[in-house]
Amino acid sequence: MKNFIKVLIAECHKQHRNYFNNMLIYVSLFLWPLLSFMASYYSYKAFDVEGSIVSYISGGNMPVFLLIGYMGMSFFRSVVQSAWHFSQERQGGTLEYIYLSPASRIAVIFGNALSSVFEGSVAMVVFGMLLIFYNKAALNINLFGLMAVIPIFLCASLCWGAFMNACFLYSRDSDFLFTVLEEPMEIFAGVKIPVNIFPQWARLISCIFPLTYALEALRQVTLNAAGIGDMKKVFIISIIIILVLFSATLITIYVVERHMRKTGNFILF
Amino acid sequence: MDLKVLRATIGKEFQIRLRAYPVDFMVGCILTSFYTVFGAWMMYHYFFRKRLATDFADLAGTSDYMSYAIVGSLVYLFVVRTCLNVSRRLITELREGTLESLMLAPFRRTSYFVGNMILQTIMTLGETVIAAIIGIFFGLRIHEFCLWKFITAVLLSLYGFFGLSLILGCVMIYARDTYVSQNTLFAAIFLVCGITFPKEYLPKILQMIGDIIPVTDSLTLIRSAFFGGLSTDRFIHIGIKVFIAGTVYVFTGLPLMKQLEKITLEKMEG
Repeated sequence: MKNFIKVLIAECHKQHRNYFNNMLIYVSLFLWPLLSFMASYYSYKAFDVEGSIVSYISGGNMPVFLLIGYMGMSFFRSVVQSAWHFSQERQGGTLEYIYLSPASRIAVIFGNALSSVFEGSVAMVVFGMLLIFYNKAALNINLFGLMAVIPIFLCASLCWGAFMNACFLYSRDSDFLFTVLEEPMEIFAGVKIPVNIFPQWARLISCIFPLTYALEALRQVTLNAAGIGDMKKVFIISIIIILVLFSATLITIYVVERHMRKTGNFILF
Repeated sequence: MDLKVLRATIGKEFQIRLRAYPVDFMVGCILTSFYTVFGAWMMYHYFFRKRLATDFADLAGTSDYMSYAIVGSLVYLFVVRTCLNVSRRLITELREGTLESLMLAPFRRTSYFVGNMILQTIMTLGETVIAAIIGIFFGLRIHEFCLWKFITAVLLSLYGFFGLSLILGCVMIYARDTYVSQNTLFAAIFLVCGITFPKEYLPKILQMIGDIIPVTDSLTLIRSAFFGGLSTDRFIHIGIKVFIAGTVYVFTGLPLMKQLEKITLEKMEG
């Protein structure tokens, strides 16, 4: 266990220094979510917002609804990006060293995801501040609910990031995972369109993304003042998802390593 | 322009595309366009139940939201693909280690970039057609097709996009980064150029930024070729604007690129 934590912290520290070596990281952390948020906000203007069928969306709190969506989105996106950055270790030739060292693989992967969870948290605090200053009246927060939701939110994103990291280790040609899993997240997880108005088949797809549940919980506690009791179901589902993702990560790491042994050279398979 | 270099570039690039890069990337781009269309479809049909804002038809020139958004996303796909590949070309050569040999060869910049652009245009046309077929299922309808307007709009747009790619290429090769610069530009284009909503909804300052990116006006031209809603005079006026913007971009981009190449070659090992 001591070893595990040592590796976890070391990897975290390494990745942090790796990302923050230039200012461009702030662009991807703040500017991108802000631009997408604004694009969605203005695309809503083409519609008659007052006529929407969702009860808690009206002209007034629609920006808040969207802002919460993009806050969660930017969080999850940063962990997916960490996976993408991790796949560059392969090109950099440092992946081999990690595999040759006695470091626990799972610790390395979680360390990497954890460092981006920290980054994501910074972005989240900024977005949260923005939200409060922007429209205090539209918020209807249940403080205990929020306290309970945030750790679950963090755990879910951490596990999602770790799982993505493990997937990206499999092959150098895994960039397409990024398109398959990242962009649909914006639509299917209900970042800009609430999930409960989806047709049945689309709802099935949205079940895959942990962000769906995380956002639902976050919106319930901040817009509808839902307490812990009201959200038992969401909590249980989230915990199940966290466990499933965690075991999927373990299995993927095992499969990846076996695949690597079979196909030989780490860099070029 | 040196036609030999042009042909050689097209041949070389085609080989690279065919042998080194998998089809994934193409699928990825079609998916991006699919998601945009799908998002718009969800919003239109499920979220707002086909209730558009009262001023939409006036601003957009058509009351068919789905066709409006689909044409926007097709053009967006086009911009992303051409800009991405033309501007990334030199930095990719740098990364692959072929920039030095390219510079040693009797290489003409204009032919090289135009060659890249031509190949990319042909390949992207294929993708756009596939994306358009997907679009038909989501409700893409052409109301008032005008052939000469369409051809003029496409040619002018390509010219404008070419200029834009050169400038983006300069930024990329200077910052030696493709990831952040390209994605920032694409996110900005999506916001200010009126891809899925009329740009008049934006605040003045963002509209002004949109005006200097040729994509905005190209999109207006292409939409008017499909849906009408723009007088011939106005069409020509906007067309001239795109042409001027494109010319400014091309004629600042090319010499700037030449300067930046020198800097890049100097600090290549650093």
